[in-house]
Amino acid sequence: MKPIFDIQFMISIVPEILKVVPVTLNITIVSMFFAIIVGLISALVRIYKIPVACQIASTYLSFMRGTPLLVQIYLAYYGIPKILDYAHTYYGWNIDVNGIPAIVFIYFAFTLNVGAYLSETIRAAIQAIDKGQMEAALSIGMTTWQGLRRIIFPQALAVALPSFGNTVISLIKDTSLAFMISVVEMMGQAKILGARGLQFFEVYIVVALIYWIICIIVERTVIRLEKRVKQFERGRSI
Amino acid sequence: MSQENLLEIVSVDRTYVDTDDNTVEALRDINLTVRKGEFLTIIGPSGCGKTTLLRLIAGLDRPEAGEILLAGEKITAPDPQRGYVFQQGSLFPWLTVEKNIAAGLKARGVYQENKADVAQFIELIGLHGFAKSYPHQISGGMAQRVAIARTLINRPVALLLDEPMGALDTFSRADLQDKLLELWENDGTTMVLVTHDVDEAIYLSDRIVIMTPRPGKISEILDVHLPRPRQRGDAEFMALRKNLLEKFHLASSMPQPEYAI
Ligand SMILES: Nc1ncnc2c1ncn2[C@@H]1O[C@H](COP(=O)(O)OP(=O)(O)OP(=O)(O)O)[C@@H](O)[C@H]1O
Ligand SMILES: [Mg+2]
Repeated sequence: MKPIFDIQFMISIVPEILKVVPVTLNITIVSMFFAIIVGLISALVRIYKIPVACQIASTYLSFMRGTPLLVQIYLAYYGIPKILDYAHTYYGWNIDVNGIPAIVFIYFAFTLNVGAYLSETIRAAIQAIDKGQMEAALSIGMTTWQGLRRIIFPQALAVALPSFGNTVISLIKDTSLAFMISVVEMMGQAKILGARGLQFFEVYIVVALIYWIICIIVERTVIRLEKRVKQFERGRSI
Repeated sequence: MSQENLLEIVSVDRTYVDTDDNTVEALRDINLTVRKGEFLTIIGPSGCGKTTLLRLIAGLDRPEAGEILLAGEKITAPDPQRGYVFQQGSLFPWLTVEKNIAAGLKARGVYQENKADVAQFIELIGLHGFAKSYPHQISGGMAQRVAIARTLINRPVALLLDEPMGALDTFSRADLQDKLLELWENDGTTMVLVTHDVDEAIYLSDRIVIMTPRPGKISEILDVHLPRPRQRGDAEFMALRKNLLEKFHLASSMPQPEYAI
């Protein structure tokens, strides 16, 4: 009897899949980095109720949360070149639209998408910190920004950590959508390998296992960080 | 103590709207002058607006009407000139004792030249050996002393203390009171202390401001002429205590206004 799947083949393709893991991690890290900035700015704008910017942020959040990620990716993929082309033609911006690698559109879409989710997390975390902390900071002579950076952010980060970890894990899994605009990450590579010998099932098992392992590593890391951070939370109320 | 005025609180009102849209007159028509270098205590039952008044002086909140002047200048924002010690613990949990105390210096970019002050203040508040401890590793009494040092290192002209001893046991309380007097006598910092402990008020203050709630108002200002250092068991101390308790009792049991429904 033939085995249901070909272990030999699966082992043989592991190195080929692992070869593109850096692409997945690259998308995750770059998008996460910019998403934190976007999330932080849109959170602060809403916390401090800065006119106009606050409304823009709310609309942005609502749109990002109300439309599918895949649609957002296509919007970036087809929309950005169109806009740049327009700018090129009518405003003389000197951009070679065709020279932009597809991964840039992925960065863009993921940054805005994840930024929207992080914004909510960051806002809730900052607001969970005792108001007295900021007042204490101000009254000993810190500026609002110093108070945020030195006192509020570290504490808010601790609060946000679990939710932050979940966002990273979602993002890692969502990077699999990048192959839709022909960025060769794990899914893209899987398609290529699978098509070679028509052994799609085996390929996807390998891909699934690799995603799983990466996510477990991230999860463990977050739990370890949480434990480190917890010790400061025991702060008494005096 | 000089007769020079440091703080002038002129016709201050502050009303809050709570979650049910009821208005709470936390302060109504407050007039008070605090002299330079004096130890002033504000005493009154819970909810009479003590914290509200102190927050206004600190610049953490704005009055609806009236104004508060420090050395003739209108207070509009928090400033390290007016040190504030919070009713609830407000030490920075991620910073060690030492870094909590140094935070103000660092924020204002004057840490390098005043580095020695940090160790000196740790010594002064009796926390030698705890410089590297985190707030959750020290006792409540110690934490309040750190909070006081954290503001005093900025050399404030006035120190505003909101029931700093409220959550302490009798011993830590007496200990901290003496520490506070020592700091006051050394530096001549003007002290404005909120408390609802009559003994504490008599033991520490030059003047006692009695407040009453709903609306928060000043009902009386009492001079304390007892010589220092004061003895808690003294006949004069006890007489003043009795006098104050009577007033206090009267003040807090004044008939409530009746509302027509
Ligand atoms: N931010 C706020 N929103 C709504 N009401 C408030 C607010 N702050 C204070 N109040 C109300 O104003 C009144 C005075 O409050 P305040 O905290 O100044 O009293 P307090 O004298 O410090 O009392 P305690 O001795 O309990 O600390 C209270 O009735 C309180 O409920
Ligand atoms: Mg209070």
